[in-house]
Amino acid sequence: MSMLKAILPSLAFLRSRWLGCPLALMLTSTWALAQDKRWGPGEAASDYGYRFHDLFWLITILVSVAFALVVLLLAIPVLRDRERPGHRASFDHGKSLHDKRLTAVISIVTFIILDAWVLVIAMQDLREAYWAIPDAEDPQTYRVEVLAQQWAWNFRAPGVDGEFGTADDIITINELVVPKDRPVSFNMTSKDVIHALFLPEMRMKRDVNPGSINKTWFRPITAGDFTILCAELCGFAHYQMSGKLRVLEQGLFNEWEAEASKLASTAFDADDTEAQWAWDWEE
Amino acid sequence: MRGISWQGLAVSLGALGLLTSLQTSDDENPHARAPRGVSLVVTAGSWLRAPSADWFAKQAKSEPSRFTHDATAAGGVGGWVDSRGEYSLSEVEGEWAYWQWVSPERLTAGRRDFVQFCSSCHGLDGDGYGRSAQHLRPTPRSFQQNKFKFTKVIADLPSDEALMTLIKRGLAGTPMLPWDLSDVQLLDIIQYIKSLSPEESGWRDVYSQVGDPVEVGEDPWADIKERAIARGREVYHGAASCHLCHPGYVTNEQLRVLRKDPEGTVYREDLTYPALKDSEYEVLGRATKVMPPDFTWHQLRAGITTADLFQTIASGIKGTAMPQWKGAIPDEDLWALAHYVEDLIVSYKDQPAVRGAFMKGLRASGDN
Repeated sequence: MSMLKAILPSLAFLRSRWLGCPLALMLTSTWALAQDKRWGPGEAASDYGYRFHDLFWLITILVSVAFALVVLLLAIPVLRDRERPGHRASFDHGKSLHDKRLTAVISIVTFIILDAWVLVIAMQDLREAYWAIPDAEDPQTYRVEVLAQQWAWNFRAPGVDGEFGTADDIITINELVVPKDRPVSFNMTSKDVIHALFLPEMRMKRDVNPGSINKTWFRPITAGDFTILCAELCGFAHYQMSGKLRVLEQGLFNEWEAEASKLASTAFDADDTEAQWAWDWEE
Repeated sequence: MRGISWQGLAVSLGALGLLTSLQTSDDENPHARAPRGVSLVVTAGSWLRAPSADWFAKQAKSEPSRFTHDATAAGGVGGWVDSRGEYSLSEVEGEWAYWQWVSPERLTAGRRDFVQFCSSCHGLDGDGYGRSAQHLRPTPRSFQQNKFKFTKVIADLPSDEALMTLIKRGLAGTPMLPWDLSDVQLLDIIQYIKSLSPEESGWRDVYSQVGDPVEVGEDPWADIKERAIARGREVYHGAASCHLCHPGYVTNEQLRVLRKDPEGTVYREDLTYPALKDSEYEVLGRATKVMPPDFTWHQLRAGITTADLFQTIASGIKGTAMPQWKGAIPDEDLWALAHYVEDLIVSYKDQPAVRGAFMKGLRASGDN
């Protein structure tokens, strides 16, 4: 109780509206966010998704702990050594060798724990997931060509014959159907400006640039309907440039692919060459 | 003014002048004609066909002092007169037509928004071939062609309101998004689009009929949906013969019974798939083909409520093989068709397993 009485006067700064208002705002908004059932990034639906999930929480927890520690370490001298009756506050530049060593050790430890740890994991993730684009020759790999535009996603899959630029290519707008448990590999380009293909539940995001083919991939491990978004401001209707990703179980997918291919060949107009935008798959 | 290098200033000014002259000399580049200042003003306003007579009746309610009905106008038929003169009545070869005067200021405003929001697909000149229209099927509308698929209007051309509804709603499954613009902006854009009609055609042709969407009226099957669906199935495969272009959702044998055809009649190959059709929509001077939708698979453009489907079927889809059904079959059957199509969508669309089983059942019988 005496401890509380000792601390309370030092909390007087809260009465200043300059500090109290932002603090109240911060607390209220944190509380409001925490009411949302979808607090946090949610379950990942791709096999490498856990990496991003883990990294997100690792960083969040590390930074929270570091923040708490720093605030605590700062609070101790502020409260303990403050100016009060019978105690004179003194000012110290921390010039002694002991202080300098302490500063150096704390900095190095912080760097190792926060930066180096996260950096190593991030590099590992980049190598093992982000750049581990599956072999296009492997029949297991489901290939999709993406042609982005203001403001829609054009997808083209090779259909049952496995070849791009043929009559049975499955062409869809803002809608992509992929098989579960098979790697899905993208070759992407844009007609006009820079877009970015973003599959939030798959933890997949990659810029789509005009004039070059960008590659990325993911392997869905959950069947269901997911979101396709554009993650690069691409003009007035950027916010509407979204679509639906549907992941189907293998058997169902094969049936779907056969039917979609058949419908595509029905709709195919060989004379309309301008509508044929497939390109040779780039390795 | 100490500290300023006069030579430097002169060089900068010279460079600026050079840059400006380079920019203004680039008349060939369409982007150089960006909607800035007076350079873009359409030199003269255009006379366009005005909205329907219903539109005048509506306007007269809000501005009775401006719009008056003159029983002697239009050769005794009676017509509307605008005291402000923005709309007028003219006689061409004995026929009366309403015209609307669109000011250059309005067209300029319309063009500014058109360039910003529409031109990436519809083209800077409204030819339906903007940068983002490449490879896109179905193609974006060319405003030089004056044909619109999904306005739900029976007349040749849609009224301003019909176009506004369409733009605000967008076309599902295409890059034509629901455009969240103000009514003023939209109406200006629409006037500009109308002014793109070539001389003597579209909105600048006195004989074009401008109309509102088909009236929805009352659904005669509201309480007896099941019967509507059964009736719709009969009409779809029978009187209306929708299965000639759209898929037939029956086996060959069922179709024969529904159509009361003699034993052994053989229908088109791939009966359960749609058949590719010619259209009048051109891109780069070539007419494209369109695919009639399979209702259990494709996304419909203009809404999937019973009323939307009724309107779309009733008005037909201009420039394609889909005719206007209003008048061809009774309204009651139109509603039944709408119910049947809605049922197909609700029961099978986006449900791959259920749809797969249904279609497999139909095809199991053999030749379809």
